[in-house]
Amino acid sequence: MSDERNLDGELVAEMVAYQNGDLEAFQRLFRALAAELGRFFAATVRDVSQRDDLVQETFLALHRVRQTYLPPLPVRPWVFGIARNVERRHRRSWRRRGAHETPLVDSADAAEAAEAISGSSPSLDRRALASALRRLPASRREAWVLHHVHGLSFAEIAARLRIGLDAAKLRSSRAMIALRSLLGDARRG
Amino acid sequence: MAEPSPRLLEAVARDLRPVRPLAAPWRRALVLLPLGFLLLVGVPWFWGIRKNISELGMWLAWGLSAVQALAGLAVVGAALREGVPGRKLTPAALAVTLASSATLLALITWVTAQYAPVVVRPEVRVRWVWECLGIATLSGIPALAAVAWLAWRLLPNRPWIAGALAGLGAGLMADAGMRLFCWVSEPEHVALSHGGAILILMVAGALLSRFAETWKGWRGR
Repeated sequence: MSDERNLDGELVAEMVAYQNGDLEAFQRLFRALAAELGRFFAATVRDVSQRDDLVQETFLALHRVRQTYLPPLPVRPWVFGIARNVERRHRRSWRRRGAHETPLVDSADAAEAAEAISGSSPSLDRRALASALRRLPASRREAWVLHHVHGLSFAEIAARLRIGLDAAKLRSSRAMIALRSLLGDARRG
Repeated sequence: MAEPSPRLLEAVARDLRPVRPLAAPWRRALVLLPLGFLLLVGVPWFWGIRKNISELGMWLAWGLSAVQALAGLAVVGAALREGVPGRKLTPAALAVTLASSATLLALITWVTAQYAPVVVRPEVRVRWVWECLGIATLSGIPALAAVAWLAWRLLPNRPWIAGALAGLGAGLMADAGMRLFCWVSEPEHVALSHGGAILILMVAGALLSRFAETWKGWRGR
């Protein structure tokens, strides 16, 4: 109980420092709360990468409304209040997309994407790339293929997927990191 | 995932100016005190003071209107609190807020009807309801706009409720001035036109808040 109170006190101090413009305090807050937020989103989102995206989105939303935190009130209820909003928006956009749209990019497109990419980079192993693309979570693959294969700007991707600009960039860059890692493993294997 | 992504850090670092925490909701609601006063005085000044104000006297006319305007401000405070993430009103607090607002309106209407009874001629009854509904709704729009301005940077967990409370507060404040202009004290008239205007403002507030939430979500996610 007193440990929890100490942790709450620390979170309040970090939050106040963050409101005063301390980037490291923001990073410490992230480290302290990301896992808990991940568990919160796990109740409704099965896809781990989507959960990670939602945690990142929560912190982005938190950053935009950081002046609404009133010290010395506990930080957790405020953060989870923001997380509930992010989760609600996610559910709503998911429902809308599920009801009205077919996926823009499915795993069959991975082969086509690999074909297109390897055409311009002959050193790439087409099959390894297609296989790596298929292993990516659908949301990241979608953003990556739309940007790198179809040549859409991030603003266009954001509009098509009905997500924010930062989320579009984030998904594509994460897909790239994952692809590099998967292709590196494939080469070594 | 124990670290923020580079994109997130970049977005945060780009806009890391120090911010001052918002004041407590009740203190922010007090910002609207001058507007409440303006509505209280401005509506009867613009449209004319009620013909039978002498039957009510100073306290039952201006005193009760001031109480109603202050109640409106308190409801605005509740709406602003509802707008802070994780600080939503409990069901009991919400019920008390709604019930006490309705009770106050009913009580003021009853007292006014007792001290300054007016019998409306049937041929103008409907027309006056529509006229008062329009004027009362229009009078509430500046108050609703001011609350929306105060609430713009908030992130309510229940936008419908936060917006409806904002509309209720704005409606109460505007109607405090309206009752100093409208001399018709018939409860049916007050319920339909003045109460109707408050309901319209509540619905407008709820829609506005919901729209703002969607718009901010599209812009910011």
